[in-house]
Amino acid sequence: MANLSLWILLFPLLGFIILGLLGRFIQRSAVLAVAWGACGLAFLLAVINFFSMLGTPVSQRVSDQVVFNWLTSGTGNGPSLTISFGQYLDPLSITMLLVVTGVGLLIHIYSAGYMEEDPSFWRFFAYLNFFIFAMVLLVSADSFLFLLVGWALVGLASFLLIGFWYQRRSAVAAAQKAFVINVIGDFGLMLASFLIFVNFHSLNFSDVLKTPVSVDTGTITAICLLLFVACAAKSAQLPLYMWLPDAMEGPTPVSALIHAATMVTAGVYLVARTHILFDFAPLALNVVAGIGGATALFAASIALFQLDIKRVLAYSTISQLGYMFMAEGVQGYSAGIFHLVTHAFFKALLFLGAGAVIHALEGEQDMRKMGGLWSRMRITAWTFLIATLAISGIPPLAGFWSKDDILSTLLAQATKTGNPGLYILWGIGLLTAGLTAFYMFRLFFGIFSGHYRGQPVAVEQKEEDEEEVAGHHHAGSVYYYYIEEVPPVMSIPLIMLAVLSVIGGFLGSLSLVGLVKWAPLPNFLNSVSLLGAPVLEASTTIVWISTATSILSALLGFTLAWLLYRKGFYYKESRNPLYRFVLNKYYVDEALSFGLIKPILGLGRVVGNAFLEGSVLDSGSRGIAGLFRGISTGIRKVQTGYTRNYALSILLGVVLIVVYYAVRG
Amino acid sequence: MASVPLSAYLIISAILFTIGATGVLIRRNPLIIFMSIELMLNAVNLSFVALSHFLDSADGQMFVFIVLTVAAAEVVVGLALIVSIFRSRRNIDVDEMNLLRG
Repeated sequence: MANLSLWILLFPLLGFIILGLLGRFIQRSAVLAVAWGACGLAFLLAVINFFSMLGTPVSQRVSDQVVFNWLTSGTGNGPSLTISFGQYLDPLSITMLLVVTGVGLLIHIYSAGYMEEDPSFWRFFAYLNFFIFAMVLLVSADSFLFLLVGWALVGLASFLLIGFWYQRRSAVAAAQKAFVINVIGDFGLMLASFLIFVNFHSLNFSDVLKTPVSVDTGTITAICLLLFVACAAKSAQLPLYMWLPDAMEGPTPVSALIHAATMVTAGVYLVARTHILFDFAPLALNVVAGIGGATALFAASIALFQLDIKRVLAYSTISQLGYMFMAEGVQGYSAGIFHLVTHAFFKALLFLGAGAVIHALEGEQDMRKMGGLWSRMRITAWTFLIATLAISGIPPLAGFWSKDDILSTLLAQATKTGNPGLYILWGIGLLTAGLTAFYMFRLFFGIFSGHYRGQPVAVEQKEEDEEEVAGHHHAGSVYYYYIEEVPPVMSIPLIMLAVLSVIGGFLGSLSLVGLVKWAPLPNFLNSVSLLGAPVLEASTTIVWISTATSILSALLGFTLAWLLYRKGFYYKESRNPLYRFVLNKYYVDEALSFGLIKPILGLGRVVGNAFLEGSVLDSGSRGIAGLFRGISTGIRKVQTGYTRNYALSILLGVVLIVVYYAVRG
Repeated sequence: MASVPLSAYLIISAILFTIGATGVLIRRNPLIIFMSIELMLNAVNLSFVALSHFLDSADGQMFVFIVLTVAAAEVVVGLALIVSIFRSRRNIDVDEMNLLRG
């Protein structure tokens, strides 16, 4: 089993190496065969591992297989250190592996259609395979060291893919921004690892993550807060969220895979993985819950007025990730992971649907130039509707169950502890649910209902031909009657994700309808007390109260969107300062630019130009060079080239030696 | 037979060596320089032989043969170099050969 699971890691790596080295020389179909094959085999192996894990007794489901010893030092006596790379397989990592490789495979398939006309076809799939490799490494590493390696590599994959269209200035800038912010997170993880090593004398999960924790609470809190810095950067939580909306510069399948379904959930995974530490640090848990709640509301409010369809989805992702952290902050780890899984399904679907729309409109992302696509793109529209219903929390779709799980956990924890802060968080959760329903249906109506607001009618066939020549990503809009449904290679993944979005919820807790025991995913995760026994059994009353209010909230949001945008989206310039404030994303980017980036750049320029470059560095290096030149100018006169001079100096040397010995006696 | 003292041999040897060294330093014709080098070598040979005789040891005479052999080989290489330089430069003044100056 261990060898088999190692290949989950190796297949995508092999795919990346083959495509990276040979991709440019082989046919597109061969590129696809390698890329799909690598990802598909990894998924197959993950499935096999999953079933073999189901077949093992509950107490033996955690396996920590050492693959190789990377570094061994010290002998048997005294302190010694062995660093080994191993795979840590347990229900949590298997769940993550299934999501990563499964959703990854669907997106690999979809990308074949989306990237069809791109000249760097092979490079794209090489990067995708590399990402799958890095993500598998992240979720299956058995120590903080290799977790960090995977953590940094997914950041690199994200950087490469955001900047995939490197000819665009904005894409390069976005890639840099994402990388810099991710490195802040890597740094947090690194510091946390140092602290862990100092206190636990090991980085292996099996040594660190076990009860009882023997380290004092203050240190644990510091470790957890540093870990959460890493999580916040990777999962785009306040205040490190800014990179994710900009990451939408990448190709849309990338947004779906990395910036919605998998990589950004690494933070949620890390908190669940290290929950034993978090359980001992109530302060850190409160921070996680608080940041999660604040982010959920903040991002949802920005999403309300965005006009770029991918940005709406990006802010929605940030908001949903906030939900997951809220759940984890009240120790509802399995609820958080459950929402992670369902969110991967419907958010990937939303992004792929948006990608299909963008593809059909030849690069148009502005909602103001869409509308009326319902009758032109039936499959996309239906699947998009399912995803919208799912994320809005309309029963019985996936999002309803997982969001409800989170909200009822929050409410149950609030009533149990009587902590007013938790009631506030629960309220935020409800409000955000309503906002989510509103902005998602605004998006849906904006794209699919009403009249087409792009170029409605073809004036002449000739112009159409010119547009064909102009290529894929031109600025002009497409004539309504030329809009076509995407090819099957793209629509089949949409349909499969739609099916998952419908049935995905039944993986989770169905305690609502009295089937308390029917909770496959939480039971799977909670086996071997991996995520701890549920902190509390939410009573049926609480679950019903929470559910009823959340449905009500979602319906309110939906109704508002229905009333405003049912006949199609319309955009009206507004001078309302509050509206402008939210539309411009609270001017966070501008404030950062003004308050942080400009001063640092300015300081760098001043120090660089006037101080270092001009006088200190230049004159310093020139001075040293000049000194040596001066010395050598003097000394090299000795080297005359006349044989007789050399002979004379030899003679004088001999005479000196002779005289010396003669005098000394 | 009145024997010649050792000091006489060594003085002659020193004088010959000094003449040879002076020749190497002041003459500009490489052929003369070679001859001066021979003179230096033979001055050494003379002291070797003299000391060998006075010390009743054959070691010094053995060294003389080695020095003679080396001197012959050195002259072969040196003359070849001089011929080669003369062919390329039409001139063998050692003061003109200063390409290796710093």
